[in-house]
Amino acid sequence: MPKVYWIQSLLMLAFVMLVASPAQTQEKKPVVVAIPVGLSGVNSVVAPAVVQSAELAADELNAKGGILGRPVKVVPLDDESGPAGAVKAFNTGIRQDKADAIITMETSAARNAGAPIAERAKVPFIYTSFYEGRACGESLFVNAWVPEQVVPPLIKFMTDDKNIKRWFAVGSDYAFGRGMIEAAKKTIKDMGGTIVGEEYQPLQQSDWTAIISKIRAASPDGIIYSTSGGGPNIDFLKQLKAAGINIPIGSLSIDELTAEAGGNAAEGVYYTGDYFTGIDNPENKRFLEAMKKKFGSELKTPNALSEQEYDGVHAYAMAVEKARTTDANAVLQALPTVVFEGPRGSVQMNKQHHAPLPIYLAQVQADGKTKVLKDFGLIDPGDQCPKLK
Amino acid sequence: MYTIELFDVITTAAVLYIVALGLLIVYGVLKIINLAHGAFLALGSYAAVIATWLGWNPWSALIIALAVGVAVGAVAEWRVLRRLYVRPLDTILATWGLNIIVVQGITLYFGREIHFAESAITQAVNIGGVTYSLYRLVLLVVAVALGMLVWLVMRRTQIGIVARAVIMNEELAQVLGINTRLVRFVTFCLGAGLASLAGALITPLVSVHPNLGVPWLINAFMLVLVAGVSIGNLALAALFLGGAQVLVSAYGNPVLGSLTIVILAVIILRFRTITI
Repeated sequence: MPKVYWIQSLLMLAFVMLVASPAQTQEKKPVVVAIPVGLSGVNSVVAPAVVQSAELAADELNAKGGILGRPVKVVPLDDESGPAGAVKAFNTGIRQDKADAIITMETSAARNAGAPIAERAKVPFIYTSFYEGRACGESLFVNAWVPEQVVPPLIKFMTDDKNIKRWFAVGSDYAFGRGMIEAAKKTIKDMGGTIVGEEYQPLQQSDWTAIISKIRAASPDGIIYSTSGGGPNIDFLKQLKAAGINIPIGSLSIDELTAEAGGNAAEGVYYTGDYFTGIDNPENKRFLEAMKKKFGSELKTPNALSEQEYDGVHAYAMAVEKARTTDANAVLQALPTVVFEGPRGSVQMNKQHHAPLPIYLAQVQADGKTKVLKDFGLIDPGDQCPKLK
Repeated sequence: MYTIELFDVITTAAVLYIVALGLLIVYGVLKIINLAHGAFLALGSYAAVIATWLGWNPWSALIIALAVGVAVGAVAEWRVLRRLYVRPLDTILATWGLNIIVVQGITLYFGREIHFAESAITQAVNIGGVTYSLYRLVLLVVAVALGMLVWLVMRRTQIGIVARAVIMNEELAQVLGINTRLVRFVTFCLGAGLASLAGALITPLVSVHPNLGVPWLINAFMLVLVAGVSIGNLALAALFLGGAQVLVSAYGNPVLGSLTIVILAVIILRFRTITI
């Protein structure tokens, strides 16, 4: 009798639903971390690595039972590497995905557009990219470097160990390039050095001939430069090398991936930073292993713009655990008090919402790989936001 | 005393000349500005990347680049441009579209990050009392050789005569039984091939990424507007505008220098009308 079967199965279904539904409501609401990041546009080279860092951190937290027993969910959003996209991404993350925190690496323009949105909505925002400094807000925390942390150690090393007194400064003609060169000039003067030449190159121009001739004419002891990220570093260094100029070079804009992509173009260049894959500590080795294991052939090499995302998610989790709630006020209170021992070393965002960071000196080798030469220890970010604690 | 400046001026002119040559040829015969020129430059640079991957001699990149440029140019002319010659304005849109397609194609395969290509020559030489980049001097020789070659083809061969006939008066050439369609096809392939070759030639100077052609396209475009359809004029324009750029950058600053080509081109065009 088919009819009876039908009713029976309907009853069965109802019963199953009755049993199952309370279980579903019992499952805890996830802690949502939104990542507005440049999945398209200029940051799209580095953005996938940032997302992977966050995913690994989330996996590790979930394996230990989540945050306050709630699972962690990361939501990557495309900020299109710019302010207009950031506004959309921040609003989507906060309103639609109900983000408990925003932890991300972005361009400065995107951060400046997004931060006020996070501020108004009272959502903790951890910014994980190095930047020009002095971005302040009640809910904005930064766990990456500002120029005060990487420029002076590099200049000091080159002055003391490489005996450079007469410097030539070269920058790309944009805010970050000029800002880094300003910081470098200040340290050079403090160290008693002189600047024999200072030149800026327009962003689109890839022919450095005129500047290289000026460098040759000035015959400095060393060069300090800051182009825009990626390609322009290699343009400049390739042409410098081809011109036969062989003096110590300090870079404020190169990174591991760019140096490697440039082959031997960047050989010998010195640079400083808070993260290198070659940092020799067990935590970094474990981090790199775990990334490799999780992503396999899909892995985007962790780098100086992506590792901080991993730290950021963990630091946020520690702050929530400490506050025993995801309530923004309590988390913001707890954030400066937690110390995360990560691949970079121990990081605590306790200096006006910025962090004293372990800074390392590195040099590009003949094969383009970067070798870490020296650990400067924790370097203070200085007065970034005097109005904040 | 001024040896470095002299070298800077003539080698910069040589690089500009090499980069603009393909654009000029297409403009001369087809009367269209090939906005995909930058994409063909990029193709050539990626040919150098592939040569590095395969472990081939860096010079072989030139041949790969030429072949790839001609092949992509041939397909583009055959499937797209051929139908648009009667609508010159639409060719601007079509070649820009082609530019986007090629650049995005490169991005899909290689990604946006920069790539490494082996350079054949990286050392500097002592010449005239100064140390100068050997590769830039080689480019000077290449520019002169390419110029001579194109000049010889145009002046001394049947193809050149036919091409010049099409440049001067296309309808008349057609009436005389010249297959203008074939001339256009061959010219576009050649222009694309030369652009791609130029891309491989400038690779040792720059980093390889999908949009590397854009700044070069702008300068090449200015040069071609000033030079019209003459190979000789192109050399003069490259020397004059490129030289001015180097000197303004050297004695003024590079920010002003980068504007020089554009500003001078506008001034020259004000006094010299271009007739196609």
